Amino acid sequence: MAIAFPSLEFFEALKKRTLEAAPTFEKLGYCDTSFGLRTDDALYGIHFEVHECVGVEEGPDASKLDFILSASGPVWREMVQSIVENGGADAAHTLNTLSHLGDTIQVEYEDAEGHDRLYRYMATIQEFFDQAQHLELDLA
Amino acid sequence: MSYIAPKDFSLDPALVERLMRTFSGQLDLSWMQSIRERIAARPSQPKRGLTLDDINQGGYGPEHIPEIIRHNFSMAPRGAILPNSLPSLGYRLNRKSEVWSDQAPALFEEGKSRRWAPARDIPWEALDSGGYSPEQDAAIRQLATSLVSIGLVCTDLPAKWETLMNQEFHEVKYLMCLQMVDSARIAEAFRKRALYGRGHLGVDCEPLGELLKMVIESGTYPCASASMNLTLFSLVQGLGRHWEWAARNHADAVLGMRLAQDASRFLAYGMDHLRNLVAQRPAERDTLNGHLDLIENGVVGWLGARELLEPLLLLSGGFQPVARLYEKTIDEYMARCEAAGLGDRRKRSPLPGFLARVLN
Repeated sequence: MAIAFPSLEFFEALKKRTLEAAPTFEKLGYCDTSFGLRTDDALYGIHFEVHECVGVEEGPDASKLDFILSASGPVWREMVQSIVENGGADAAHTLNTLSHLGDTIQVEYEDAEGHDRLYRYMATIQEFFDQAQHLELDLA
Repeated sequence: MSYIAPKDFSLDPALVERLMRTFSGQLDLSWMQSIRERIAARPSQPKRGLTLDDINQGGYGPEHIPEIIRHNFSMAPRGAILPNSLPSLGYRLNRKSEVWSDQAPALFEEGKSRRWAPARDIPWEALDSGGYSPEQDAAIRQLATSLVSIGLVCTDLPAKWETLMNQEFHEVKYLMCLQMVDSARIAEAFRKRALYGRGHLGVDCEPLGELLKMVIESGTYPCASASMNLTLFSLVQGLGRHWEWAARNHADAVLGMRLAQDASRFLAYGMDHLRNLVAQRPAERDTLNGHLDLIENGVVGWLGARELLEPLLLLSGGFQPVARLYEKTIDEYMARCEAAGLGDRRKRSPLPGFLARVLN
């Protein structure tokens, strides 16, 4: 059965992918961060430790997150669609490309060090979302 | 001139006599009897492996390093038993607050685990698909040329200070060695980018040279750390993110992402190091801010240089994205200065005034 996006089930499936694709994530190195994804009225928390995603949750305490990636539902759906169609985000739909100038995805953060963790671990975080290519998704 | 040992060991009869006794089976073992402290070092997280933080226990840990080192100027590792008359290696950085960051051990481990090799980890063949106009192709090679210069200078800067740093601060010294490798990789990767295919290096940039000279000739290690880790790598991180944003192929997307990733570790050490220094010795804040006033003047020179600005405009498709890049990079840099305990630099820095002129 197709997984709805966005949903907690979607992030749980991506969490599982960090174990199924463990060699890929181990090659990218340590990733220690807790971050959020905000879409319309929902906020999801994603927690990484060492090489893998160790937890996802809906409605996390935003003050405990290093940064939050915030965009409307259509923007996220277009990004995930690109991942599915191209076997990973194309150059126009990477997290960095969409957030760099602050006009498509906004990056919310409280402190500079938490914000920099987005760029310190971007390769792992991008790979995390790129794993959506292996899921059967309902992007309607 | 070389250092000469105080005795000629080859003519020492006591050494030969001792050697003969040992070879005949008369072991002294006094070195074994003097072992003091044993710890139980094990990986705290098996998936992470045995880290420096795992073995930093008891007297081997950094919390026992005094603010001013007076007991060890030799090569002896921290926590080892120090015989009398060890030679001094002439260290000049002997104050913990001058160099220390509690994050240094973890950043060193992280940097090694997130290593990458430009030769194989960049899909160079993706550059063959093009995606750039001839002018943009020249522009990206011009930017790559500047990044090679930055990489080369940032290889030299930690090397210049690392040999002067007391061995008691070995985690910071390890991290500086990693910074040299990271910087060499920046130089390597972007030299390869500039020369790939029908490639060429661009024009060297005099204002960038002036900025890099100011950075590398910083008079103290804290000033060098502030100007390289905090100021210069704020710009490098911004350029990495912009490089990926402007990428028209997967190779450039990966290059930009990796550049921003590696730059962010310099930033993390710089912020924590300076915050620790300023918290312990508040008077250093003025010295650091005075130094950054001068460095930021160099930054204005480079941000306004034709060799940087014009390639950015060509790659970005116009003025607005570049203005936004400058605005974001300067804003985020100011936030990092504040996080590092330097206070609000906006009122004294030449950067906001420069930015206002750009935006207007």
